[in-house]
Amino acid sequence: MEVVSIAPAEQELTDLAEESDLDRPWITLVWNDPVNLMSYVTYVFQSYFGYSREKAEKLMLDVHQKGRAVVSTGPREKMEHDTEALQGYGLWATFQKDE
Amino acid sequence: MATAFKRKGEHFVARLDDIEREVVVGLMQQVLELVEPEGVEATGDAFEDLVATIGVPRLDEAGPVEEPEDPALARLLPSGNRQDEAVASEFRRLTEHGLRERKAANLEAAIDALTGVTGDKLTLDRDQAQAVVVALTDVRLVLGERLGLRTDEDADALMERLEQAGEHDIETMLAAYYDFLTWLQESLTLVLMG
Repeated sequence: MEVVSIAPAEQELTDLAEESDLDRPWITLVWNDPVNLMSYVTYVFQSYFGYSREKAEKLMLDVHQKGRAVVSTGPREKMEHDTEALQGYGLWATFQKDE
Repeated sequence: MATAFKRKGEHFVARLDDIEREVVVGLMQQVLELVEPEGVEATGDAFEDLVATIGVPRLDEAGPVEEPEDPALARLLPSGNRQDEAVASEFRRLTEHGLRERKAANLEAAIDALTGVTGDKLTLDRDQAQAVVVALTDVRLVLGERLGLRTDEDADALMERLEQAGEHDIETMLAAYYDFLTWLQESLTLVLMG
């Protein structure tokens, strides 16, 4: 019966869909707020991530001007860890799957 | 009269008089009371109680953990995911207790650093300076929320109102504290960045 040969093909399609979903990385976002100082946000990016002054300032300006910036990318657990740490510094950080 | 922080070798030095220090420490103490985890109630089960004291969610507390009702506390413990309420709730269940503990411990360290001195001169090592700069953030977040700051324009408007204020009402006083802490934090951040 033809049904037998259809089943594996369907299975394969599902696997592919799941795989591409898994490959999509997670991101940590920092959102603009009226309280946090530009200098302090730069300082946090430098001291927590070890980013250069230049990279930290560019990210800070993205937060300030665009309202938010992606500050790290990677597996979900790492993004949750970054979010928790940045919230400890008082930044409004969130994590989500990359869009 | 306060002076900005300066780098002196391995230390960060500023001047804060008694009143200024009292204000800063008093505000830090209020934020500490707001953020520290609520007392853990004994369940009678030794293992459950032990687990509760180290901040691991109890097995029977699988339900959602709500965002705090007080907007200032909610700003200190913000949502970790803006897309998915279930993910945000699970993240809060797993992390909020620990975040509260770390913020409370940091505020205590900052208060210790500011109170363990006589005279106006304040000398902080790097760990103390780090605790103070983060504690100043938490205090400013709470004051900013109480003052209704939602956007960068709100913050600019507040500073304009403060400059023109003739009356000494509560909002003006809070705005003046906020402005003072902003100045203090900016100076400490700049010396920490080197």
